[in-house]
Amino acid sequence: MFRSFLAKWKSSPRSGDRPDHVSSILVPFLIVTVALGVLAARSYILSERTERGVDTLAMQYAGYAAQISASRIDAAVSSELFHATEEWQKLERRSPSSVELQKWIGDNDWIISALYVPDADPASAIYASELPGKAHAGAPLPRELYSSSGIVRYTYDPALLLARVRPALAQQPLVHAQGFTQEAQVSVIQNATTTGAVKTDNGYAFIAPLAAPLSSYAIRGFVETGYASSGWESARLISIVLSAFALLLTGLGAYLAMRGLAHEADTMKLRGALVANVSHELRTPLSMIRLGAETLKRGARLPEKQRLEIEDSILREVLHLSHLVENVLDVARMQNSSAKALAFTPVYPRDLLTSLITTYESWIRSRGFDVKLHLTDAVEEQSWDRDAVSRAVLNLIDNAIKYSGDENKLIDVVLRQTEESVVIEVKDRGIGIDAGDLAHIFEPYYRAQFSDTQTRRGAGLGLTLVQQIIASHGGTIEVESKPGTGSTFRLLFPRPQSHTTTSLAQLTPQTL
Amino acid sequence: MIVRLSHLLLAALLFISTAHAEERKMCTAPASECEKAIRELSSGRRYLGVKIKELEPGIIVETVIDEGPAARADLRVGDRLMSVNGHSIVKGSIKDFKQILYSAKDTGVLWIIVLRQGILKKVDVRLEPYTKAQIDKMVAQHLAQAHGISSINAAAPQQ
Ligand SMILES: [Zn+2]
Repeated sequence: MFRSFLAKWKSSPRSGDRPDHVSSILVPFLIVTVALGVLAARSYILSERTERGVDTLAMQYAGYAAQISASRIDAAVSSELFHATEEWQKLERRSPSSVELQKWIGDNDWIISALYVPDADPASAIYASELPGKAHAGAPLPRELYSSSGIVRYTYDPALLLARVRPALAQQPLVHAQGFTQEAQVSVIQNATTTGAVKTDNGYAFIAPLAAPLSSYAIRGFVETGYASSGWESARLISIVLSAFALLLTGLGAYLAMRGLAHEADTMKLRGALVANVSHELRTPLSMIRLGAETLKRGARLPEKQRLEIEDSILREVLHLSHLVENVLDVARMQNSSAKALAFTPVYPRDLLTSLITTYESWIRSRGFDVKLHLTDAVEEQSWDRDAVSRAVLNLIDNAIKYSGDENKLIDVVLRQTEESVVIEVKDRGIGIDAGDLAHIFEPYYRAQFSDTQTRRGAGLGLTLVQQIIASHGGTIEVESKPGTGSTFRLLFPRPQSHTTTSLAQLTPQTL
Repeated sequence: MIVRLSHLLLAALLFISTAHAEERKMCTAPASECEKAIRELSSGRRYLGVKIKELEPGIIVETVIDEGPAARADLRVGDRLMSVNGHSIVKGSIKDFKQILYSAKDTGVLWIIVLRQGILKKVDVRLEPYTKAQIDKMVAQHLAQAHGISSINAAAPQQ
């Protein structure tokens, strides 16, 4: 029977009332997620756009640097050629001879050899060759210069000419604005295969060819773009990682909120069941009290014995009723606030148990149970809250009554002590507790799940309260149970270690 | 002719006074390399075969080389150049003319309009490469002057 309820409970769809709550809590998270996603996408696009802008700037700047440098070199070369021509014109105005030609070559060290052919008589040309020791790399190239009285055909070394004009490259930075210096690396390359913009691994290059007579050379401007250098320096990657992290946090938040919500929903449901349960449970003693009171009022001619019985019954039910009410109040109090401050006073456990059983003996017997009190040890005085511990033990007895089978209606209450603890045990011989349920029995309202057992009603608060009480005494609770053979609930109160006690009396098991 | 003679005289003077002793120092490269360089620089290059003179303004032909391309095309001393290849050089300078000559070196053709004795005349000149004799003479001259070698080739054409 018990198991089937349990199975029923377990299979009952708890998610039935979840969707509304879920959707209502998920909406803000969805909004946050979407907003984060939009922000991440936006920042990604922006960073990409920035990089594209940087690319464009780098490309433009490399091109600018290369072309400006190339035109500077070109200008320097033209100026060099112009000066060479002018100089020759001057030398030529005197009667040109090999001396002049030699001087001309000497002044323009990039010229290797020259042949001056006068217009008036080509056959009387003058030739001058390079001076000894003038090293030139590579084959000299031919070039012509038309002077007023003739033609000079000469050979030159482009490398030497380039060396002569190279200082034009080492001019001031191309862009030097206020607080901003952009620099491109400008270099001269030979026999370039391509011209124009070239993308490299770490930036942009632009190759601008030089004009004749240095057309075998080109100027390469290069601008490094730093952003793409390594993974973790990339702003784009960082923004993606941060966004992913934010999304992860949001997801975690949503999960926690949903879990909290589900828990809340469960608690609400259980609380509803509890109210129903408690009202049901209160109804029984109330109706009995009412029945007894009505009988007394009507029956003036009742025999004395019967009248006393009714009075006893009313008292018992009132006692039980007040116990139930106390339970509910205590659980509420201990759950809601830190005001669970208990009144610790010196208590002899033996006295506590004896007086408790004496008080409730009549009520227990009315349920058809016997209680055996085993005060096996001399237990010294403890600092407990008398009422709380009494209620804990009473709850265990109440629990035992509810779950006992019909055959063996005997409950044992044992008081003993070990090295570390004062132990109170309540044993029944009832139906026991399924292993699967043992883990849950101390959860608030757990018992409320089985509300359809009319015979075993209970608020489900009892065990929770017991646990709270024992916890506030610094102790623990243990349960041993086997379905069909009964359960033992064991309260372990810590013993103050400084106390060494002498047993006053050893009481034998008493049947009450 | 007078100019040319004076040039030669001056050259000879220089030659005697200074260059004679330093002759060897003037060209230290091997003679064979000089010859090779001269032939490379001159062979295949085309020339017009006139010497021009600048007036104020204008250009007239001062000298026409015997047997040269200009002589063959009937360009004469005293001709005033009016236009070359469509470019007017009525008021041009030698520099302008040389510029046109330079740009025509690949096609090798000049259409010249000259003013000769008050009459405009069209002269078509085809530029020609230097003759072998001219080139040989260039080589011989250099070898003789800068290397002190008087070859048979060089000696023969000398007047
Ligand atoms: Zn030589």
